[in-house]
Amino acid sequence: MESELERRRPTASYDWGLLRWIWAFVRPYRAMFWFSIVLMPLNTAFSLAQPYMIKLTVDLFLSPRAGHHPPVWLAPLLRNAGAHGLAVMGAIYVLLLAGEFGSFYGQFYLTNIVAQYSLSDLRLALFEHVERLPMAFFDRNPVGRLVSRMTTDIDAINEMFGAGSLTLLIDLLTLSGIIVIMFSLSLRLALWALVSIPPLLVVIRFFQVRARVVYGQIRDRLAALNSYLSEAIGGVSIVQLFTRHAETAREFDLLNRRNRDAQMMANVYEAGLFSLIEAISTITIGLIVWIGGGEAIHRLVGLGTLVAFIEYARQFFMPLRDVSSKYTVLQSALASAERLEALMREPVTIDSPARPRTPAAKSGSIVFDQVHFSYRRGEPVLKGISFAIEPGQKAAIVGATGSGKSTIIKLLNRFYDVDSGRILVDGVDVRDWDLRELRRNIGLVQQDVQIFTGSILDNVRLSRMDLSEAEITAALQRAQALGFVQRLPARVHEDLRERGSNLSAGQRQLLSFARALAYDPRILVMDEATSSVDSETERLIQLALVELLAGRTALIVAHRLSTIEKADRIMVFSHGELRESGTHDELLARRGLYYRLFELQYARLRGGEAGAGAEGQSR
Amino acid sequence: MRRLFGYMRGVGWRYAFGVLCTFATATLAMLVPYLLKTGIDAIQAGQYVRLSHIAAAIGGAAILMGVARWFSRFTIFNCGRDIEYEIRKDLFERLMLLGGGFYERLRTGDLMSRMINDLSAVRMMAGMGVLSIADTPLRYIFALSFMFSMNARLTLATLAPYLVLFAVMKRLTRSLMERSLRVQEGLAEIGSKVQESMTGIHVIKAYCVQEHDAQTFRQLNDEFNQQGLALARLRGSMMPLVRSTVATAVMIVLIYGGTLVQRNAVTLGELIAFIGYVGQLAWPTTSLGWMISIYQRGKAAMRRLEEIYDAALPASLPALNGELEIAGQVEWENVSFSYFPRLGADTNGQPYALREINVKVEAGTKLAIVGRTGAGKTTMIKLLTRLLEPTGGRVLIDGRDVREIPLNELRRVIGVVPQEANLFSQTIAYNVAFGRIDAGRGEILDAVRVAGLDGDLAAMPRGLETVVGERGMSLSGGQKQRVTIARALIYDAPVLVLDDALASVDTETERMVLENLTEGVRGRTTIVVSHRASTVRDADQIVVLDGGRVAECGTHAELMAAGGIYAELFRRQLLEEELAAY
Repeated sequence: MESELERRRPTASYDWGLLRWIWAFVRPYRAMFWFSIVLMPLNTAFSLAQPYMIKLTVDLFLSPRAGHHPPVWLAPLLRNAGAHGLAVMGAIYVLLLAGEFGSFYGQFYLTNIVAQYSLSDLRLALFEHVERLPMAFFDRNPVGRLVSRMTTDIDAINEMFGAGSLTLLIDLLTLSGIIVIMFSLSLRLALWALVSIPPLLVVIRFFQVRARVVYGQIRDRLAALNSYLSEAIGGVSIVQLFTRHAETAREFDLLNRRNRDAQMMANVYEAGLFSLIEAISTITIGLIVWIGGGEAIHRLVGLGTLVAFIEYARQFFMPLRDVSSKYTVLQSALASAERLEALMREPVTIDSPARPRTPAAKSGSIVFDQVHFSYRRGEPVLKGISFAIEPGQKAAIVGATGSGKSTIIKLLNRFYDVDSGRILVDGVDVRDWDLRELRRNIGLVQQDVQIFTGSILDNVRLSRMDLSEAEITAALQRAQALGFVQRLPARVHEDLRERGSNLSAGQRQLLSFARALAYDPRILVMDEATSSVDSETERLIQLALVELLAGRTALIVAHRLSTIEKADRIMVFSHGELRESGTHDELLARRGLYYRLFELQYARLRGGEAGAGAEGQSR
Repeated sequence: MRRLFGYMRGVGWRYAFGVLCTFATATLAMLVPYLLKTGIDAIQAGQYVRLSHIAAAIGGAAILMGVARWFSRFTIFNCGRDIEYEIRKDLFERLMLLGGGFYERLRTGDLMSRMINDLSAVRMMAGMGVLSIADTPLRYIFALSFMFSMNARLTLATLAPYLVLFAVMKRLTRSLMERSLRVQEGLAEIGSKVQESMTGIHVIKAYCVQEHDAQTFRQLNDEFNQQGLALARLRGSMMPLVRSTVATAVMIVLIYGGTLVQRNAVTLGELIAFIGYVGQLAWPTTSLGWMISIYQRGKAAMRRLEEIYDAALPASLPALNGELEIAGQVEWENVSFSYFPRLGADTNGQPYALREINVKVEAGTKLAIVGRTGAGKTTMIKLLTRLLEPTGGRVLIDGRDVREIPLNELRRVIGVVPQEANLFSQTIAYNVAFGRIDAGRGEILDAVRVAGLDGDLAAMPRGLETVVGERGMSLSGGQKQRVTIARALIYDAPVLVLDDALASVDTETERMVLENLTEGVRGRTTIVVSHRASTVRDADQIVVLDGGRVAECGTHAELMAAGGIYAELFRRQLLEEELAAY
């Protein structure tokens, strides 16, 4: 299995493009960003000056010998201090310490502020962008994927700011600073101290290549392990019903074992690199003691220089230890940035026109004119649908699953755009309407009622913050929902869990009616619920439906016979075509499709009874 | 925790080896500053030969230390991995045996987080935790004895900042843990907000809620932002805190030690050695704080895992002598069931999901159960397969209470096609042969044909070897259901249960599958749960459930004549089917 990381096109220019893209979000905070960058060399300077102070202390006070003079900046200070020279050194040391602490903390916190703010802007921008994307996008992309874009992927970029690339910069500064200082202190000693670097780089490279393979394995094996685990837990009843425990446990064991083995291999490599660098660091110290000590004996370098070299060598190898893990962080951040950038590039294909048209009067008329539509190219769902609904008319759409019924209502409020033909609402093409205006005008009641986390009030009100509690209560009343709401402990303030799991299906229906009533749209489109409810709730729904439909143009995908019979017009759909249209009585009188439907139903009923009876006898 | 120690004993020898290597590493590491001291002393005395010996000793110590450190780290970390593996294995096997009540209580998401996050916390404790426990005290002992042997007063002065560091770290790590937990929760909240909005996107669009919704999101986002910064404020101080502790100690060594050198109370070499020790103690002191939090987290995580260990398994009975031979008579005898037996009422105020059900199915006949959603149809099936246990009454197979039959034996005589397909992301062949690993290719093809899937398979380039996408994504609902039918057919049990198994199949396919099935189920007891008239009308017996009770019972003709719930259901059904046919 190829993992996402490896699949990336690893071209440098491409990565620069991504970094530029991220930069667009960092830009508003660039002052802080640059300030934190400026603090970096400052921090390096403060920390690298400390061993130098040790050197001076040793050379001037602890192992003084002829020819050692304090540097020009230090001489006047020491002259004034007289016998308290050591105290002066201590004071300078404290200053350096404070400088290091301050610059590091400032740098770290500023970087985090920049990261947090710019990534939170990015997250908000993504969220707003995604909510504007057309429904077709949501058909293609599972929700889980979008969630991980806005959490995991953004977090990976945060990691880069926090722990990855920027500290890589500090490390680089530190390394080059140490090299410069070493060479300026003693050329010969510096060469000896750094002699292990070229072979060390080769070894790091070797580990890096190996580690990348192993990390790839770990990623894939861990993913396989966890997805098996989640499937097995989700399907545990199947495992039990088919008595497959032993085999399932064996399969899981294999995945578990493979994951463990890869993890162990990674530990071997990681511990190897860690130990190797530590060892080389110590060997280098031995080398410095040996070579430098010899020179010190011959008075070629001061003891202080030697001590400083030992300190510098310690600091030099520290960052090398985790350079490869930081590189990994950078890589995965770029992979995440790539996915996010692609998401941001998704075009908003359905939006308000630049100059929207407003209809002369919002009366609620609907016209479908030769509408063709397909979700996927070559698979037409609607084939030239034309009909007109007068203001205030109630139209019922009937037809089999897949006949295109629900598509009609999705096109009306522009969830999708037609392939050809046009849809007019109040005489204006829906594509010329201001989108908000259009959708405000059309109330939608769907089969599967979406409940959001929040109170009943929030769920009815949605974005209409101008509606008062009294108005919402009135809407609940008219939707026959107030009865059950008032039996809830906190009434309208009762908190609903996501997907409304603490409400019954019927109660959710009534709530969605209240939602539509509160918005008071001219047009109502409804996908009638098929789920059966108890007779009391059914009665409430019928009552609420009357209220809901009163004075509105309505387009209903109908499942209940009562709804169909009461409609001003019934439209019979079949395979993407409008086959018949008229009132219940007209259609029956026409003796066409709708009539045959009923005719057949009764015939089948009689035949069914006879057939079943015959079968019963034959047994 | 006792359980964890049990696992640790399992890899005891390797732990012992790893700890031994850790001791060696710590000893050698603490030797180096001492060697440095002797080296400086040698330089000051001008003894070049001695100096080169000491340098060689440092090099040798470095190499030995490298090897010891390597073994110590990966041995102990791998012990942690092994323990993780064992625990995961045991928990998984346990999870596969646990019954319905357990899964009502703990959802998949919760269990997954235990199996991933909690387990990794336990592993940290068994790996990193053990390493620190072995390493830190020894380093202190060595460093302190060397330092005290050189100069006691300088030692005490030097260690002062470490006491402060330790105290600060202990407090810091606790709030650090709390804050990172809060950040985790914040991220989870953002995740569920996105989840909710994306799931309800049609409502959000239809009611123009975008801007309002983005406002809500912005609030969450800002809160998360603040939590992140609160964490950064703490995290930012960690590293400089450690470094400045070291540096303060170094400064004390320089100033106080420096005056001692000037007074010839200590040698310059000793002073350098002090600087070395001071550096070496920094990270162990820091990790002391981490160690405490790793231990606390691990303990809490282990407690959550123990809940799985301690959950009661369904009572197991001694295995039967030989296979269970049954004819296939099934009976629900005065069966009642409540999901909340102790409360006596569920959330909707209905006390029982099933009440006093009396239904008897003779061997080899077909029973149909119809009724609205929530009428109790699936519950009846779950009681038969003992995914649930009745609150009152008995379920009998061939006159024997199902609770008296060992679970595996019981389930081997009942083949179930459940409502939800629940396929595994493997090949179709794997899924069909799920309950019969020994099934041959011919048998699989046979079952596939009877289930009416052969036509669909012919259209797939890889046929039986087609890999089903996660949760069966790449197959249509109808195809998935037919895979599950084939899965039950090949199981070849005397009792076949179809729980609304053809709901996602169009009528044409349904008719074909049903025709095939009549051939496939000959001689078996068949129990069909359905809301479709065409599926149930030829049953020998139709039971209509309403609100958990048997409302009607009889053949199709009898029930039609009675003109009750079934007749109404059938009429509505026909309307839908006729509409579908056009």
